Amino acid sequence: MKEVILDCFGEACPVPLVKAEKAISTLEIGDVLIVQIDHSCAMKNVPEWARAQGYNVEIEEVNDGEWEVFIEKNK
Amino acid sequence: MVVYKVKRLLIIKQRLGGVVLSETNNSLSARRSSSRSGSANRKPKKNLIPHGIMSFIIFVVIGLWFASKNPSLAIFWMTGIAFGFILQRSRFCFTASMRDPLLTGVTSVLRSVLIAFAITSIGFWAIKYGAFVQGLPIPGMGYVVPVSFATAIGATMFGIGMVIAGGCASGTLMRVGEGFMMQILSLTFFIIGSLLGAHDFGWWKENVILKGKSIFLPDYLGWFGALFAQLLLIVVLFVIADQWEQKKAGNMSSH
Repeated sequence: MKEVILDCFGEACPVPLVKAEKAISTLEIGDVLIVQIDHSCAMKNVPEWARAQGYNVEIEEVNDGEWEVFIEKNK
Repeated sequence: MVVYKVKRLLIIKQRLGGVVLSETNNSLSARRSSSRSGSANRKPKKNLIPHGIMSFIIFVVIGLWFASKNPSLAIFWMTGIAFGFILQRSRFCFTASMRDPLLTGVTSVLRSVLIAFAITSIGFWAIKYGAFVQGLPIPGMGYVVPVSFATAIGATMFGIGMVIAGGCASGTLMRVGEGFMMQILSLTFFIIGSLLGAHDFGWWKENVILKGKSIFLPDYLGWFGALFAQLLLIVVLFVIADQWEQKKAGNMSSH
């Protein structure tokens, strides 16, 4: 039950998604991955991918143009 | 269909907050709030409304100045700003539309691009057919250019480039406007590449492009046939995209 923060500030579109995909495969069930992004496109495709996988997802805009995507590996 | 329903349910669950939250969701939000209090060095958000009002006034003033010089400049200015605004707010991304189906299997952006194509097809068709019916010269015929091998080469190069750069032409411009610093680099090389392309365009046009054949569908299928063929193609692509997403989602959940 740990929480992993993945810093993707400054990374352009497919990179946060690929990093999140890799990071989540190393996590245990019940862990939460927090992906920090500031690329507006990743704000769309990271949550979309995670939801398609069936994970619980929440997005929070922590600052203007900076988001944290919470992904719970629930299966 | 089942996949959609499950997805929608999940989203609804999240929107409703605590009302129908399952246990896993509860633990997520509980830990969320703990993490929020943990990172207390978060800056308070700036109020951007004064900036918005200022920008709007500046847009209008510049627009009026353009209008006094040349009315069509003012129209370009307005449509440009409107296009950029919609692009940014809708997170419309042509790169994502082509890349995400392969990367994640999600085709929502691809399908919205197809819908946009369908709408613009009808719009352009109406403009051209309107001119044709009135016996006026058909506008925009200069853009009916030959299809050749160069189209395929160019498309492939552009596709590779846009995925690496993190955006196509409009996407890069939009994100530079958003303040994404890395893509200023993309924009620099985008300009250099465009200049190189313009420099060599004469050679390509003479040796490759003009050897192809330019096809204007209404010449071959009639005006209504062309519209029907185009829309049919878009519908077929839409259905394929939808099937692709369902197939990909099925593969993933079986893991």
